[in-house]
Amino acid sequence: MDIIIQNLRKNFGEKVAVNIDSFRIHGGEILGLVGNNGAGKSTLFRLMLDLIKADEGTVRMADASTDINVAETEEWKDWTGAFVDESFLIDYLTPDEYFQFIARISGKTPEELQQFLDKFQHFMADEILGQKKFIRNLSAGNKQKVGIMAAMLLQPQILILDEPFNFLDPSSQSAIKHLLRKYNEETGATILVSSHNLQHTVDICPRIALLEHGVIIRDIDNSDGQAQRELEDYFQVTD
Amino acid sequence: MNKYQLYKLLRKNENLKDRRHPMFEKNRFMKFLLIFYWLYNAAILLFIGVVMAVGMKGAYNGVAAYHVLDGWFPIVLMIDFWVRFILQETPANQAKPYTLLPIRRSFLMHVYLTRSGFSLGNLYWGFMLVPFGLIAIAVNFGWITYIGWLFGWWLLCIANGFCYLFVRTLLTKHLAWLLLPVAIQGAVIGFMFVPEHNWLDMPCTILLNAFANWKALYLLAAFAVIGVLYYANFRLQNAMVYNEISKKEDVEVKRTAKMSFLDRYGRLGEYLKLEVRMKTRNKTVKIQFATGIGLMLMFCLMMYFGNAYNSGVGKSFVCLYNYAVLGTMTLISIMCHEGNYIDGLMSRRESIYQLLRAKYYFNSFLLIIPPIFFTPLMAVGKLSVWMNLGYLFFTVGVLYPLLFQMAVYNKDTLPLNQKITGKQGNTTQQVVSIAILLLPIAIERLSVLILGDIWGYVFLIFLGSIGIATHKIWLKNIYRRFMARRYANMEGFRASRNS
Repeated sequence: MDIIIQNLRKNFGEKVAVNIDSFRIHGGEILGLVGNNGAGKSTLFRLMLDLIKADEGTVRMADASTDINVAETEEWKDWTGAFVDESFLIDYLTPDEYFQFIARISGKTPEELQQFLDKFQHFMADEILGQKKFIRNLSAGNKQKVGIMAAMLLQPQILILDEPFNFLDPSSQSAIKHLLRKYNEETGATILVSSHNLQHTVDICPRIALLEHGVIIRDIDNSDGQAQRELEDYFQVTD
Repeated sequence: MNKYQLYKLLRKNENLKDRRHPMFEKNRFMKFLLIFYWLYNAAILLFIGVVMAVGMKGAYNGVAAYHVLDGWFPIVLMIDFWVRFILQETPANQAKPYTLLPIRRSFLMHVYLTRSGFSLGNLYWGFMLVPFGLIAIAVNFGWITYIGWLFGWWLLCIANGFCYLFVRTLLTKHLAWLLLPVAIQGAVIGFMFVPEHNWLDMPCTILLNAFANWKALYLLAAFAVIGVLYYANFRLQNAMVYNEISKKEDVEVKRTAKMSFLDRYGRLGEYLKLEVRMKTRNKTVKIQFATGIGLMLMFCLMMYFGNAYNSGVGKSFVCLYNYAVLGTMTLISIMCHEGNYIDGLMSRRESIYQLLRAKYYFNSFLLIIPPIFFTPLMAVGKLSVWMNLGYLFFTVGVLYPLLFQMAVYNKDTLPLNQKITGKQGNTTQQVVSIAILLLPIAIERLSVLILGDIWGYVFLIFLGSIGIATHKIWLKNIYRRFMARRYANMEGFRASRNS
């Protein structure tokens, strides 16, 4: 499933949050979105998810048989999973209840849910399921894990994750990279990941978009894993 | 920096906190509405004060009008007490941002407690008392008595404010502390309404009369009580300030009901489970629910034991109130609690529609409670079965569709669990609440008048049945209108979250 952005504009008062003339994310791609604070990464994701209104332009999702504008229908919600922040979590549920809730409203059987959870055993590290804790009482890292898993539970064709490496310990960061890569290989899903961690972004994203003041200023081909230097130059990470 | 400069700085920060509230920064109209609402309430109190003073003049066999009002001062203080939950923060909460700064905690407590005592909020009842006293006291008994009487009321409000702070702070420890004011106020109501004559009338009158006449002993006693309450608060707030900072409650979930009997309803069943869990696992929602049940019980008891609600309108009011109170309290702010996780809901297809359906069925199911409370009243013939059926259908089929319209317009997130004080409703919500409680009584009275006792209620049943039969249609309509306004609503929910 492709994501097609055309003439997309969003301002907050005088500040330009997103200003993209044309950009296409091809089906099956893993796209990394990088940029400094305030560059517009989260706003772009929210526009893609129809959570805020664009001042102009459209976000469309399309493949051979479908072509829809996300602002005009809810159809895309059947094949899109996302985790942007804690406002995606129902924090008075336990993680077990939350996964059951998401699974059932997405039409998954208990067996399918169990199979899904089994795949994430290592990622959850015995700290999420069966803990008798509400989500609100989990650590920030474990909340992040619950959010990411809930987004993937739908087995979406499009997966959007805002800063998925935040709050995670190093082994969980490594685990999520592995899980995302594997998920992309197995399902051919389109995956969008924003991050401030250049290393992780370069590791998993064959294509990286660099955002500055709402504009995609560079569309970097990272299929050979060579984007690191270009990004480090831009962010002045090295001396 | 000396203590006075520090005090001025704290005061400045408090003022900025109010002025820079996110909702006001985003919305100038909101500012206007708040001022308007404040003035509106003041005007109502003013009106009540004048009307009471004129109306009571000579109406009670030579008893001075102000003695009549004084006899009922516990009721005023009860209202004052509960209103404070909406508006007043505790010093422990106010001191939170400063706890890691090099400021003595005891100094912070003294500053905020003193500010609570001298808060303008303690003078708010003055809008009613000043005109009342002017007409009923100043003219007949002189200015000194008038000022003494007002001063006495002010002292009572200050003491009441400290009582509120005490209870409010204890509530951060355990919700069961809510039973303390409920028990005390329940006993007071009992003394006032159960006997043939209000038992508290005489002591209340004596107390305020003593203030009016500047009786030193009574004034000293009042100062002493305020001093004790101040000290008790000081000790408690000081000890509890860390509780406000790092609440570690509900860490272990003791038991979770699976509610698997709802599985057969598919997606709807999941949203029903969500609704039940929201009601049972979040402090603010639980308090709202418990307050609703408490109010229902209180009205039933008053009707059962007293004579105040034996008239046609009185019966209608109690009966309707018992059916409508829970729905009104929760549905008036429908979607406001969901504002905490609105992005998650909005990223699932038609989740809002399923949620609205679940809320409708859940709230309708709760209406099994009023008939249970009313059974003794029906048994002694104080309420008719027809009236109950009439209001039951009318609530589910007419009032609920009206209340559910708020789902389209509400866009302020209400906290689920973090704090008890905070935003509890805007002007539109309050106007709708009042309409919900007054309009049906008018319709019921009219239909009973025109059609007679039984057919009047049959008419209400008929009206309600239409709403019940068409509930999927009007819920879908609300859902479509919600989606049409989704951007504005989501922006509002985000802006007001955690504020």
